[in-house]
Amino acid sequence: MSKNSKKKSTLSLIFSRLLFGQKERVETSVLEEEQVHSPMKTIVRNFKNNKLSMTGLIIFVTMFLIVFIGPNFLKLDLSYQEVTQQNIAPTSSLMKVPSKLKGHVKQIAIGSTFSVGLSDDGKVYTWGKPKEKMIKTMPSQEEMGKVVQIAAGLDHALALNSEGKLFSWGNDRFHLGSLPLDVQGVTNIKQIAAGYQFSIIVTDDGKAFGWGNTNVIDFNVGKYQGQIDKVVVASSGVIGLTKDGKVISLMTKENGYSRIPQDLGKVVDIASTSNAIAAVGDDGKVTVWGNITKNVDKVPQIDGKVVSIAAGRYHFTAITDDGKTYSWGANNFKQSTVPSSIQKADVKAVFSGYYQNYAITKDGSVLTWGLKGYVFGSDGMGRDMLTRLISGGRLTMTIGAIAVIISTIIGVTIGGISGYYGGKIDMFLMRLQEVVAGIPFLPFAMILSAIVGNRISETQRIALIMVILGLLSWPSLCRLVRAQVFAEREKEFVTAAKAMGVKENLIVFKHILPNVISVIIVNATLDFASAMLTESTLSYLGFGVIEPNPTWGNMLNGSNSGVVIQEYWWRWVIPAVALGLATICINIIGDGLRDAIDPKSQER
Amino acid sequence: MLKYIAKRILYIIFVFFIMSIIMFGIFKMVPGDPAAMAIKDVPKTDPVVYQQKYDAARERLGLDKPIPVQYVSWITKMLSGDFGYSESYRNDVINIVKEPMGNTIFINIFNVVAALLITIPLGIVQAVKKHSKFDNVVQVGTIVGYSLPSFIVSLVAIYFFAIKLQIFPVSGMNTPGFSGTGWEKFLDKMYHFALPLIVMTVASLGSMTRFVRAAMIEALSMDYIRTARAKGLTEKVVIYSHAFRNALLPIITLIIGWFLGIFGGSVVIEQIFGLNGLGKLLYTSLQAQDYNVVLALNMFYFVIAIVGNLITDLSYGLVDPRVKIN
Repeated sequence: MSKNSKKKSTLSLIFSRLLFGQKERVETSVLEEEQVHSPMKTIVRNFKNNKLSMTGLIIFVTMFLIVFIGPNFLKLDLSYQEVTQQNIAPTSSLMKVPSKLKGHVKQIAIGSTFSVGLSDDGKVYTWGKPKEKMIKTMPSQEEMGKVVQIAAGLDHALALNSEGKLFSWGNDRFHLGSLPLDVQGVTNIKQIAAGYQFSIIVTDDGKAFGWGNTNVIDFNVGKYQGQIDKVVVASSGVIGLTKDGKVISLMTKENGYSRIPQDLGKVVDIASTSNAIAAVGDDGKVTVWGNITKNVDKVPQIDGKVVSIAAGRYHFTAITDDGKTYSWGANNFKQSTVPSSIQKADVKAVFSGYYQNYAITKDGSVLTWGLKGYVFGSDGMGRDMLTRLISGGRLTMTIGAIAVIISTIIGVTIGGISGYYGGKIDMFLMRLQEVVAGIPFLPFAMILSAIVGNRISETQRIALIMVILGLLSWPSLCRLVRAQVFAEREKEFVTAAKAMGVKENLIVFKHILPNVISVIIVNATLDFASAMLTESTLSYLGFGVIEPNPTWGNMLNGSNSGVVIQEYWWRWVIPAVALGLATICINIIGDGLRDAIDPKSQER
Repeated sequence: MLKYIAKRILYIIFVFFIMSIIMFGIFKMVPGDPAAMAIKDVPKTDPVVYQQKYDAARERLGLDKPIPVQYVSWITKMLSGDFGYSESYRNDVINIVKEPMGNTIFINIFNVVAALLITIPLGIVQAVKKHSKFDNVVQVGTIVGYSLPSFIVSLVAIYFFAIKLQIFPVSGMNTPGFSGTGWEKFLDKMYHFALPLIVMTVASLGSMTRFVRAAMIEALSMDYIRTARAKGLTEKVVIYSHAFRNALLPIITLIIGWFLGIFGGSVVIEQIFGLNGLGKLLYTSLQAQDYNVVLALNMFYFVIAIVGNLITDLSYGLVDPRVKIN
């Protein structure tokens, strides 16, 4: 009982005596006079008074809720991978158009992780997360002069200035960073296009030249040289539009892109996602073909006549003659959900690429939708770290919790029986406990997981990890419970229970165990943290839960190299902080609980 | 005392056999047919000849005998130091294990000594000045210490000391192409060992310090401490001679248990820092599915655990005279 409440009760006693005289006092019962708390209440109060453990509890509960509720909103697609989005630093400014560019955008070209903008006065701006090489190799504005057209590919960009000179910068693989000889002399360039490791120019007289990764794109203009008006580059193909509105394949080999539908009529615009091509006929009808994935062929009901079309990596965006915007295709980053503000606006032009869309309205403002960036960055396979962190946390905590439940049940049962019965049973169970305690944990778990784990399914494997953790970590609790039961069984209430003829098993589990429950709870809390740590260590080494299922441990698995540690810090710092914070909080809670249950432990 | 030791040794032999049976059982679960592996060079063109050779291989490997007989022959081989042949290293397992074992034992002993030199004084100071600001700060620090897995500590250490400050190498055992006298070679090796040793020591401070503190507080609350103080002994004598000696008993148990634990735990450190130790060997052998090496390594870990248990029991007897009686 704290001093404060004592004071209060004496005060109220005096007060009531003054008011009601002596009579009132007789009616207060013993319990009211001397406020008695149940042990549970005392524990809760002690715990609440401990600021450190309360902070730990609040942080842990918050993490727990995020991790268990979060996956319902941020759904994890286990098979998802995206090469173009690898190792992007935490950002939310992939679509943040520089303020200088706002109001006079001429063109925006979108690369995998960056965007390049061109203003009406010929200045080039880059934003987003371009690779370092991209920034280093970019020609200065003075060098380029007044730029009239830009294009952006996976990790390179092209610019054409008013004198017809072409610039290329960014990644230099496949000589993308420099211009081939037959392009250097060309001055009458009309269109420039950049795709997945490929660049193409189209001249005024209808000729097209391409260079880049010819292993993937077998670029071949063939008989159409001289008739080309526009080209689009998909991830493994090039499609052209002739001056008389015919769609043609610019590849040697036949593939999904080159199976061009016959009934297109006169085509006014074409666009390509990574795998599919869309053509707009002069009647405003959109036709999609190619390797159809992610619903890119589900063209919505369009009111009006489509006049131009743009494409991202897996989506299309079209605008109609009355300035309406429509998007369809993959929607994992909301890139094909046109916000209502844009549906209402009068859109002049739209630029799409990868997962971003920029719509330019007739009054010059820039509206965007699509992928803003990754709050916690992306990992080595282009997956969003936040999604994996949340789902990984759920798996880590679930495995830890189930392992603790298993080990607690075994530990309490064996410890209880051993402590109560003593004698030969005790002797046998204690030897058993010593054998299990003697097993070197990590090597043994690694072997079990390697030998048993590679012939079972992934879900069974996760279950196996839980069981291994549970089966190997009960001895310490068992010893503790045994010692406690040992002390409790000599007390009077046990003798009383025995005298009443209560069955022995019932005495252990119904009469004695409730008295040692606090020890069990504290121990289970601390074990929870260590189970999480062990699971993470196993997964980190590659013997626990394996990809693509995320846990906080195996998210760190890829970071075992100097390059990742230095360059892609978010890939290891973020899961490490999450794991560390969770285990620290749990241990602080466990410590606080122990102090709250046994105030003597603080004195010691 | 002799009877006590004999009893413990008997018991430990018993435990060893149980563990070896468990290991043997797991080993039998390894997918694949060892007999087919042994004759994989024999062409399968003639099924009759192949079958003959296959049966011969089965007989040679003892696979045609019942499981208990196989176990007996296996354990006899193990006990005589024949751990089999490693497919991936093309050498006898016993030859492969020698060098890594030296490294692992070295880093673990170094770790224990270094950690004890830090934690024992720290724990004592905490216990003496309990609930002071210093104590509270260290208490929180130790919670953080034992809550962080060693691989996170390693990553942080590599980031700061190897990459940013470039004081230590990122990984490896020695500078590639290094030549020099024996002493210079040793210095080079130590230079590579420095960061993993620091990390291991730091990672093991947390739980150890807490334990020393708790044991010391327990000892300091005893009546004989009050008596010692009442006699007018100096505080130094009270703490180091009276209290610490009595706190030693639980500490010894912990040290040994922990010593065993870090043998397993150094798998992580060896793997991260690329040290040629048993842990790394276990890791690579598991990856390469070289189960003869894996089995030998696990038997080593078991023996370490068992010997550790024995030493704990015996040292109990030495430190605490009361144990001898029962």
